[in-house]
Order: sequence, then structure tokens, then C-alpha cells
Amino acid sequence: MNSTPTLSLGPATTDRSARLRAALARRTEWRGLALLAVVVVATLSFEPLVFTAYPVTLGRVALIGLVALGLTAVILMGELDLSVASTLAVAGVVMASIPNVALGIVVALCAGLLIGLVNAFFVVKVGINSFIATLGMLFVLRGLAFVLSGEKPVRMADIEAGIAFGAPIIGPITPRVLIFVLVFIGLQIFVTKVRAGREFYAVGGNRQAARDAGIPVSRRLVTGFMLSGFVAALAGVINTMERTAADPTAGSTVLLASIAAAIIGGVALTGGRGSIVGTLVGALSLGIIEVGLTLSGVQVDVQQIFIGGVLLLAVITDPASFRAVVGNARSFLSGRRGETPA
Amino acid sequence: MKRGTRPSGAQTLQWVSERGIFFFTAALVAFAALFIDNFVSIVNITDVFHRAAPIGIVAVGMTFVVISGNYLDLSVVAQVATAAVVLIAVSNSAGLGLAVLAALAIALLYGVVNGVAVGYLRANAVIVTLSTTFVGLGILRWLSGGSIFFGPPDGPIRALGQVKVVGLPLSALVLVVMTAALAFLLGRTNFGFLIRSFGSNRTATRLAGVDTSRVVVGAFLITSLSAMVAGFVLAAFSNTAVSTMAQGFDFGALAAIIIGGTSVFGGKGSVLRTLLGVIFVSVLTNILVLSKIGFGWQQMAIGALIVLAVSVDTLARKAARR
Repeated sequence: MNSTPTLSLGPATTDRSARLRAALARRTEWRGLALLAVVVVATLSFEPLVFTAYPVTLGRVALIGLVALGLTAVILMGELDLSVASTLAVAGVVMASIPNVALGIVVALCAGLLIGLVNAFFVVKVGINSFIATLGMLFVLRGLAFVLSGEKPVRMADIEAGIAFGAPIIGPITPRVLIFVLVFIGLQIFVTKVRAGREFYAVGGNRQAARDAGIPVSRRLVTGFMLSGFVAALAGVINTMERTAADPTAGSTVLLASIAAAIIGGVALTGGRGSIVGTLVGALSLGIIEVGLTLSGVQVDVQQIFIGGVLLLAVITDPASFRAVVGNARSFLSGRRGETPA
Repeated sequence: MKRGTRPSGAQTLQWVSERGIFFFTAALVAFAALFIDNFVSIVNITDVFHRAAPIGIVAVGMTFVVISGNYLDLSVVAQVATAAVVLIAVSNSAGLGLAVLAALAIALLYGVVNGVAVGYLRANAVIVTLSTTFVGLGILRWLSGGSIFFGPPDGPIRALGQVKVVGLPLSALVLVVMTAALAFLLGRTNFGFLIRSFGSNRTATRLAGVDTSRVVVGAFLITSLSAMVAGFVLAAFSNTAVSTMAQGFDFGALAAIIIGGTSVFGGKGSVLRTLLGVIFVSVLTNILVLSKIGFGWQQMAIGALIVLAVSVDTLARKAARR
């Protein structure tokens, strides 16, 4: 090191605090964290029961957040998976139709992987925009769930297993929450530490550059869609286990809620920006808002108004929106200035 | 030999993607008329139009948002239901005139909020309209208490719902008039030209000195006004209104638009294509219903059609580039 002082890039840029500041400025979760802080403070002062009854809150967060975590992997690559809610329904119906619980779970999860593969086929091989390909799959899979179930809820053969599944295992933690935490940790490690996962950001940030850098873009897309399908199927399995029955209309609100969680957490729909932690922050905020409002006796409809308002706030406080407003104002003012003398 | 056939294959694909929907719609209607019992009857045709008109009116309006390159307006679900509930509930207590004015004000509000957020703030249309759906449906359900509103059995709304024009319900005429008016607006006016050019190349349109933000607001306003008309038609048909009555209109309308051959990347498509997409989907659904094929299969058919329509379009463009 001492022998090659000329190679050092100068103390200012390599300075530790500067690097830390740069790293913090790159984070995308700030707005989500600010919202979470506001939500936590507000609930602590108005409805502290949300935190004393934390198993309820965690259950709600896991319900909203699980599908959102898988979806985040796809959104990071600048794609969208609209079929997650229908995948959840199909997986639930498939699982409940198979008498053996273990076999049912395996087949349902494989169905999720297969659905992800089909989505990826249309996006990668045929070259359709993922928004439309998965919109088509939304309809196809919803139809499939209805056909497989005979248009009515399917009861699980082994109801005992379902009842056992709903019980807390570690302290007050239910298997649903535990699985949610495991999926979170797994995905977080995948997109930050594993090479294939880190390449998701490159694929979403600049696809051509990623391709030129030798990243197998198509294979990453396949991985992303399969992850999303798998996690959605997992959510379907959990739903079915907890309710001991599968409803073909299940998960109709899941799609919009999980997109909302990701966006509130700072994940950009254009791809390349965002994080799994952000989605967790988004799901936590939404879950705490919902449970807090429920415990305060606020109707579900009014809760929706809150969530919609929060989402609108999240999207219009995006830095890009600020720049657009400033640009608009500037051109507006300069236009005026040009007009007045004439 | 193989070399010789390839351009003809590409040409076929291109023909299907450009003219296909005209041909397929005609073929489907002919097939239904010839082979499906009870298809050609006043009762059934009336039924097809009753079902097609509300979502069709939404779809022809939403075509503007899609062609402007902004994917879709999810909030039509809230807008249609709000217009229907306001029309019946307000006219019950304060008269029809005030009800129409109130619904119009709400439609304008939706259009401006969605349009300003997408046009001026450059926010993603999917997320913006998703949040306005949450807020709008929340307010509607909260204020209406989720209850069903009935119009008086001898009121003007009921009377309008019963009007027949050359044997067809008034809603069919509204759909046709809306299509004609919006087709003129999109295809023959300066505003329509700006929507199409913004959809095909945003930057170029902006650099040409066009106030593109205002164009986007216009596209959302047209969608909102169409959704309002659809709400009126829906309310008049059954003389009832409830907050859940437009469920599935968001993706249902988008499906018709895509099957009609309008590109979700913006710039390419027409209002007439959307009408054909609506007719195609409605006739197909009707055939399946008459053949006693269940809801599940109907949904699968629509999904497969979306993927098929866009696959053909994509492959045709790939082939043309070769």
C-alpha cells in the first residue's frame, strides 16, 4: 500500500463517512421508513393494543406481505406479475383436492413453479410485455381454479392437519408468520449476497447493459417469475391450511395489496431500484394501519380510504415526481415571462 | 423452398395482427348464427347487448388512456359504481337533474386527479389509479353502507332503461354513439392526433412543443366521462345500484381493448378495434353460456385470447423486422 501512493484516489472520496453517506443516499426505503415511523408513533399514542396484541398484527403483516415479497423479485427486474392472486387460488384448490396433505403441498408448490415458468416463457421466448402476459394468465388461472374446484370451495380431506397448522408453534408465533420470516430472510440473502440475485438489479436497471456485461438476462427472468409463482403458491397453501378449505375466489384483494406494499416500500416499477427490506417496511406499515384502524373500530371501507391515500402519497412524493413538478413549474413560468412583453 | 415461404408466413402474421379482429369477429358471429341454437333471437341479442354495453362504453373510453401509453385506468371500477349509485340515490332524494350534475362533478374530479398525477407528476398510471380505486371505493362503500339502492318503479331512470330503439335496448345505441363520437375524436381531431403521437413517442411529442401533461389529463377525463355514462347505463338497466356492481370492469375492459388489437405500449390502435374486441368477447361468452360451458372455462378462454392476440402481434413485428 505504502509503496504505491500514486494509485490512491484521494482521501475525500474514500473517506469512510462520505462512503457511508453515499450508501445511505442510495437506499430506497427512506419514505417507507418515514411512513412506518409515523404509523408506529400514531398507533402507540392512539391504539397501543396493536403492539401488545402483536401476534394478530404479525399475522396480518404476513398475510399482506408474503405474496409481495415474491412479487418484489419480479418488479426489481422491471417486470410485473399480475397472475399472483390467481396462482394463489389455483395452488389452494390443487392442494385441497389431493387427499394426502404432504403430497398436496408438494404438488401445489410445483404448480406455482410451473406457472412462473409459463409466465417466463411468454415474456422471454415469445417476447410479450409481462404486464399483458400475466394479465392473460390472471384470467386463465382464475378460470382454472373455478374449473378444478367445480365453482365451489373445496374442503381439505385432512382437516386435523389444518387445525394443527393454525396453532402457534414458537411462543405466539404461528407457522404463517414463521414462513413469512423465512421467505423474507431467504429472499433478502438472495438479492443482496447471491450473485444471481444481485444481477436482478442489473437486469432491471439497464437490460442492454446487463446483456452486454454477460449476465444471462433470460435465465434471471425465468428465476424471477418462478420465485414469484412459488411464493404465491406458498401463500395459497398457507391460506388453505388455515381455513381447512380452498376457495376458487381466494386472494382477489391480494394482487393490489401486494403491489401497494412494494410501492410504499420504495420499490420502483421501472425496475432496478428497491429492496426486499423495503417491501417488508411497506407490508409492516399497511398491516399496522389496518390492525390499528380495526381495533379503533374504524370500518373496513374507511381503512381502504387510508391505504389508498397513503399509496397516492407514496407515488407522488417519488423524487422523479418532484423533478417533474419543478420542470413543469419552470417551463410554465418561463412561458409566462416570454408572453408578457408581447 | 423454405426460404420462399418465410416472407409469406410473416405476411400472414402481419395480416392477422392488423386485420384479424375484423375477420375473426365476423366469423365468430357467423358461426354463432349458423350453429348455436337460440343465438339469433330478440331475447338473446338483447341480452348480449345488455351485458356488452356498460363494459364496452368503459372500454372505448379507456382506449384513450391505453393509446396514450399509460397502460390502463384501474379506477373505472370505482367510477362506474359511484356514477350508478349517485344517479339512483341522489335522484331519489333530490331529483334526476341534480343527480346527473353530481355524477358529472365526480367524474371530472376522478379524471383530473388521475390525469394530474400521471400527466404533471409523471407518476405510474397503474399505481395512481390503484390508489384512487382504494380511496374511491372506500368512500362509496362508507357513505352507501354497502346497501343496494332502488329507483322508483315508475321513475324516469326505469323508463329510460326500458326504451327500445329498432328492437334493441337504448344501451346498445349509447354504445354505438359513444364509439362513433370517440372514434371521431381520436382519429380526426388534433387532440386525438396528440394522444396517438404521445403514445408512440413521448419525447418527440414533448420536444415538438406540445403540452403533453394536458394531453394525458384529457385522456383520463375521457375515460372518466365514459365510465360515468357506463354507470348510468348499468343503473338504468336494472333500476338498482350497489357499490360492487362494476367488479372486474378494470381488467375486463383492458382485455377487450387488447383483443381488439390496440397496443399497450401506446400509439397503435383505434376505438373501432375496441368495439370489435368488446363484441368478440361478448359473443364468445354468449356462445359458451348458451352451450352451458361454465364460468371457469369462459375466463380461461378470455385469458388465452389475450395471450394469443398479443403473441401474434409480437411475432408479426419480429418477423417484419427480419
